[in-house]
Amino acid sequence: MIDPITGLGLVALMGALATIAGAAEDLESDVGSQSNPNSQVQLAAQMDFPHRIFNKAISGEPPAYGLWCATGATVASVLLAQNMSVIFAIAIGSLAGAILLGLFSVTAHMGRTASQKRFKQPVYMDMVIGHVPSIMAHGFIAVFCIVSFSYIMFEILGHPFPLPLLAFLWGITAGAIGSSTGDVHYGAEREFQNQPFGSGLNAAQSGNIVRKAESGLRNGMDNVWACAKFGGPVTGLALGWTVFFDNWRSTVFSGMNAVIAGLIIVLILILANRLVEVKARKAYGPYKDEEGGAEPA
Amino acid sequence: MSAVEGGPASGGLPPNTIIAIGVIGGLAGIYLTMLNQTFDTKIFSVMGGIGSIFAVVWGADAVRRVCSYGLGTGVPSIGMVALGMGVVAAIFGLIIPETGILPIPTILGPVISFIVAALIGLVIGVMSNKILKMNIPIMEKSMIEIAGAGSLVLMGLSASIAGSFAFNDAILPGVVSTGYIAIVFIGGAMTILHPFNANLGPDETQYRTLYVAIEKAALIMVIAGFASLTVIDAVSAAVTMLVGLLIFLVYFNKFMKSVHREAYKVVGTGLLPSAEELE
Amino acid sequence: MIIDPISIALITLGGVLIGLGVHFIPVGGAPAAMAQATGVGTGTVQLAAGAGLTGLISAGFMYNFLATAPGGFGTSDFILVLASGAVGAMIMITVTMFIGQLVYVYCVGVPPVSAKVDKDPITGDRQDIYVSQGTEGHGVPTVSFVSGTIGGLFGGVGGSMVYVQLMQIGNAPADPAIVALAGIFATGVFYVNAVLASYNIGGTIEGFHDPKFKRVPKAIISCLIASLLCAIIAVPIMGGVS
Repeated sequence: MIDPITGLGLVALMGALATIAGAAEDLESDVGSQSNPNSQVQLAAQMDFPHRIFNKAISGEPPAYGLWCATGATVASVLLAQNMSVIFAIAIGSLAGAILLGLFSVTAHMGRTASQKRFKQPVYMDMVIGHVPSIMAHGFIAVFCIVSFSYIMFEILGHPFPLPLLAFLWGITAGAIGSSTGDVHYGAEREFQNQPFGSGLNAAQSGNIVRKAESGLRNGMDNVWACAKFGGPVTGLALGWTVFFDNWRSTVFSGMNAVIAGLIIVLILILANRLVEVKARKAYGPYKDEEGGAEPA
Repeated sequence: MSAVEGGPASGGLPPNTIIAIGVIGGLAGIYLTMLNQTFDTKIFSVMGGIGSIFAVVWGADAVRRVCSYGLGTGVPSIGMVALGMGVVAAIFGLIIPETGILPIPTILGPVISFIVAALIGLVIGVMSNKILKMNIPIMEKSMIEIAGAGSLVLMGLSASIAGSFAFNDAILPGVVSTGYIAIVFIGGAMTILHPFNANLGPDETQYRTLYVAIEKAALIMVIAGFASLTVIDAVSAAVTMLVGLLIFLVYFNKFMKSVHREAYKVVGTGLLPSAEELE
Repeated sequence: MIIDPISIALITLGGVLIGLGVHFIPVGGAPAAMAQATGVGTGTVQLAAGAGLTGLISAGFMYNFLATAPGGFGTSDFILVLASGAVGAMIMITVTMFIGQLVYVYCVGVPPVSAKVDKDPITGDRQDIYVSQGTEGHGVPTVSFVSGTIGGLFGGVGGSMVYVQLMQIGNAPADPAIVALAGIFATGVFYVNAVLASYNIGGTIEGFHDPKFKRVPKAIISCLIASLLCAIIAVPIMGGVS
């Protein structure tokens, strides 16, 4: 066992790494438009709205990040077995994961676009060349951070799972969090800035995504610029909190106390959610009047 | 999706041909790793990887056929269930002859895995239609195929890392203890689910989807080869990686060519199609 | 003893709990990502897996700590590991729902609301008038939030139960091969059950107040059969690893 102070420091470091990983993960999926919001990018061409948004339908984010992180950790653990230094091993592993991500992005974007021939959606090669390096760069940061905190958990805190398995499981969690939190900023707000603010997307407007930027045509780079202001950082916060709280409670407390501490965190979050709900209802008010009639003035 | 509302996928190679390619190619690849023992080398580990490519082609085609009917949930989940069933079945089949509970020769391991996977797939397929009332006509058949393909991919990649499909002697220390099973699991799932997901759309074609399947399976084979560096010797690992890389390059090129041929148009850069063009 | 009925029963129960947990997790699928439906904007399987596997990581940690400690592994330890897995999964899902909520409220500017009920069964708040035009609710209202927490609980307990039981049969808590085998098996069993449950609800559900929740019995039967099959297969494997 390591002493509690060092343990807490490591848990804090893991939380910090997870925060960076979460933010990079979400922004990567905004550059390339992955996961659920991408359904609108896919639909846009069909509704006669051809666009220049990268259509990166690799798969859901959780399995995808499971693969990148498992690849990174596998390559890293092979290199570690050859006595390479830890940082180098993880960096090269993450590079392998990022290259894989890049290659999957190319087939996803070009394959999906080619399958939309009848909607006359062209394949723009400059988009492939311009977006893929940015996707890989964000992916590299995310994979590097996830494999790093998995390594700390495995090597120093003594988690029994082997490194590739641990990184794979954390990759799935990171993907699940990324597609549940930050992607909503991209899907509900950034893609539909042409709709009035403060309501969900009217189903009748599906596919009518914003296709023009401040200057020229909008692409993934413009989207990540906007999402980096809210969606990305809060996704980082979510993954950071998950990793930090989960490990903090078992580092500070032991046995049943760790479970109780965890339950208290859950309870606080339920109450906090209620506060936010009440505040939102009060601030925004109903869309219809009390009788369920027309919208109040 | 070629038919979001439902209806069979069409075109290209008939399902039975692909099933035959997948089963025979997959099993042959796994069994050919036995040449390692015959010639006292590890060089034939590459056959496991090649076998996994055949199995991935089959799995991706089965996903393509079943996902042409609306499943109510995304394509990815069916790929994950494939390997979920596959991992349980594959390890069972490989280990059961070695435990000596049943008098089965070790050599039948992969075949047992395959049969058990098909059995689990059948049960899940029948339940999906009969209990969960999904009413997808080919659900039973597809689940059998997907689970079978999943188990073959898993065994093929494991054999290429460990150099043999003997469980306790090779796969357990080489693939499971090291944690490489994670990359085998998720790599297998992604190669099966990604090709159709990446080509989804009304103008999807079977061979383009299958090019992606081959090319992505070859990529995972390269990683499996790299992982095998710590398990078998460097020369054999290098052979697996090089063969994988070669297959990847060939089929990535084919994919690119088919995109250039089939897309509405491929341009360096440009404006959106004009209103007249969209008429 | 190669075929141990208690282990098989517990692994099956774990699988059923996973399937049950999925029904509690409020997911709106792709429409929710556009604030077009109530719930978290992702797929059922993916969110359930994210939560359940976080729980598995916590449970694996706790099991390793308790089982390698002197004195062996008793019933109270068993409960502690399950509780640890459950809390791990609950933390992940509550954090995700809460942050998701922040995005809905402060970024999209919509109040959290359910479209399936007129009044929130827990808080009693009026719901229908807060649904914006052309959508089926948005955000994570309190009832869905609580439901999701329960879903995390079941998913975490289920996944940990499968893992612990497999480890108990393997009977070598420090052997990396047994640990990895049990870990990947638990993941496999998790995915099989989560996908079956997700097929049952057609990919989206708001929580236990959703009419779709009435389909739960069908999922329980399916998960029971599927998990039983997996358990019968998995138990001899863990017993047979040398």
